[in-house]
Amino acid sequence: MASISLRKESVFLGIGALDTEPPSTPRKTQDHFSFFDRTTTVRRIRGVPQFNKTILEFSVFSVARCRALQSFIGLTLLLAACSPVRERARTALTDDFGDTIVVGQTPRRVVSLNPATTEIVFAIGAGDRLVGRTHWDLYPAAASKVPDLGSGIRPNVEAVLGARPDIVLLYASIDNRPAAARLRAAGIKTLSLKIDHIADFHRAVRLVGLLLGDSAKAATVSDSVQRTLDRVRSVTAGLPTPTVFWHIWDAPLITIGAGSYMSELITIAGGRNVYGDMTAVSPTVAIEDVIRRNPRYLIAGPEGAAKIKADPHWSATSAVREGRVLVVDTALVGRPAVRLGEAALEMATLLHPETAAQLSQKVH
Amino acid sequence: MVTHRSWHWLVALAVFAIVCVAGVAYGTIRIPVADVIRALTGEGDTSVIAIVRDLRLPRVALAALIGAGLGMSGGALQGTLRNGLAEPYLLGVSGGAAVGAVAAFAAGIGDAGWIALSAFVGAAIAVLLALLVARAAGRGGRGDPRTLLMAGVVIGAFANAVIMVALANAPPNTVRGALWWMMGSAGDATWQTVTVLAVSILVGGAALIYLARDIDVLALGEEPAAALGVDVDRAARTIYLLSALLAAATVAAAGLVGFVGLIVPHIVRSAGLRRHRPLLLGTAVVGATLVVAADLAARTLRPPAELPLGAVTAILGVPFFLAQLRKTA
Repeated sequence: MASISLRKESVFLGIGALDTEPPSTPRKTQDHFSFFDRTTTVRRIRGVPQFNKTILEFSVFSVARCRALQSFIGLTLLLAACSPVRERARTALTDDFGDTIVVGQTPRRVVSLNPATTEIVFAIGAGDRLVGRTHWDLYPAAASKVPDLGSGIRPNVEAVLGARPDIVLLYASIDNRPAAARLRAAGIKTLSLKIDHIADFHRAVRLVGLLLGDSAKAATVSDSVQRTLDRVRSVTAGLPTPTVFWHIWDAPLITIGAGSYMSELITIAGGRNVYGDMTAVSPTVAIEDVIRRNPRYLIAGPEGAAKIKADPHWSATSAVREGRVLVVDTALVGRPAVRLGEAALEMATLLHPETAAQLSQKVH
Repeated sequence: MVTHRSWHWLVALAVFAIVCVAGVAYGTIRIPVADVIRALTGEGDTSVIAIVRDLRLPRVALAALIGAGLGMSGGALQGTLRNGLAEPYLLGVSGGAAVGAVAAFAAGIGDAGWIALSAFVGAAIAVLLALLVARAAGRGGRGDPRTLLMAGVVIGAFANAVIMVALANAPPNTVRGALWWMMGSAGDATWQTVTVLAVSILVGGAALIYLARDIDVLALGEEPAAALGVDVDRAARTIYLLSALLAAATVAAAGLVGFVGLIVPHIVRSAGLRRHRPLLLGTAVVGATLVVAADLAARTLRPPAELPLGAVTAILGVPFFLAQLRKTA
């Protein structure tokens, strides 16, 4: 079986968090043996999240323009706040593993084992409550101050327990079920989420906000991302929609199907995913079929683009021959998280450079 | 001579005990020994109690059982087949179990218990197929050990092909789950898996030890064995089946942990044990020690990541084996 090998980055890939080329941030070697000590240090440092203003600018209207569901939850919370504690404890939600989480006391120690939820926790201003994250959580910069607990898939349960969390946010992949079961058996809340579509992101923000006790902030984050997406959509509406092939991985050749938020990003940015007819999140395809579908643009990260340009097979596509290989920042578009709006902006600027001026205008 | 032997046993059991204590005392995070002891009695910080009692203890127990099972399985097979290259996965156990596990992953089953059951069923089917093929191919119903080995290898190759076809176009979650499973890990140990495996090892191991005299005779060769009044075919078949099922039970509990079943019988024989009753007991102790030590290394060498248990057993076992080989040569 040695012939089947996955590069370690790819392990987190293709799923909710498609990121073939994680930015190689230099990290200091860490002392893994004293999580107890380190968590206390981190709590003292209190990382300050730095978010792009276009995404998180606060608007008085944003809360008012919340989607109905969020208002409903806000209302629930409001009612809960006015009622006795036992009423509040009744609010429960179900995650993507079908586990029930009771919204009780606001957790003070949070472990997030999914890069997307780590971003969300910081975005809603709860970054200082994070006591653990995965090795791949690189955004925002303050995340690097949070103890690295290793992989987010099949996590080291001992390391997670050692961080003494009140709640653990997990990626709802089937191989995380044993970890979720173990943590729950140890009396720790878990929220396992699958974030494939943009709608899943909004739901994740809402649920994380609800559990961490700041639904209003969560609504602001969700709404601000949605406004940026809507703005990009309004700019690209009516423009021609060139076909796009998104190169995620080269061996095997993996692209994105309709099941991924990345496909939605292409649509919002005014393009058409050439494999939008496949429902999978990240289907494996044959290069011959890509050539046959003849996409107008090939999109890839910096490494992928270099490979495409160097590989003689790819010169069979008109996109390579005519120089239409677009390079995206995989750290930005690779995660269904708080920078989705920014990612859509970047995609739209690549696919429709003529709209760049329009896209960069601020909304008022 | 007797004192010499008992000295060996004492050392082996002492090392096993030390390794087990270390397995509970050390892990990904550092917990003071005093806190570990208090956690064992159910006192102190709840997360420390959970780490010690629900993670480390069952893990050490499971690793010990895996080592004991694989060691005995390898010892019995090497004796019966009169071949030092024989090992527990020989009869298609690994391939069959992997097909079962991959099928479970592909069906979207994430529950460890169902994956284990599926793997065990796969292994059992592969072993029965190998035995049937060997029996059918053997002249006049006589199972030639070489035919059996061939049948095992061929069924293993077929199983590998099935796995590759299944995984080639599978979604990343399935591939990752299946690959991790194949690399072996005691990380999913719960008291439930420990209990199931403990019962299997006790029953299977006791049966093998009961049959140890037959193995002694078979180890002399088929003709001498037949001359000594042993129903060679039947005895051999029973031992093959028992050893393979023993290995299958360990594989179901923790995936593929290579090398243990091959190396441990050699280590025990080099200590001077020849008769299979003490030899099998010895392989159980040494196998358990090796796997508990390997599991401890797997979870402490690169924290907070874990290394695949199956690889660590080989990394620890090979130098030891080479040193032994040099000494005996």
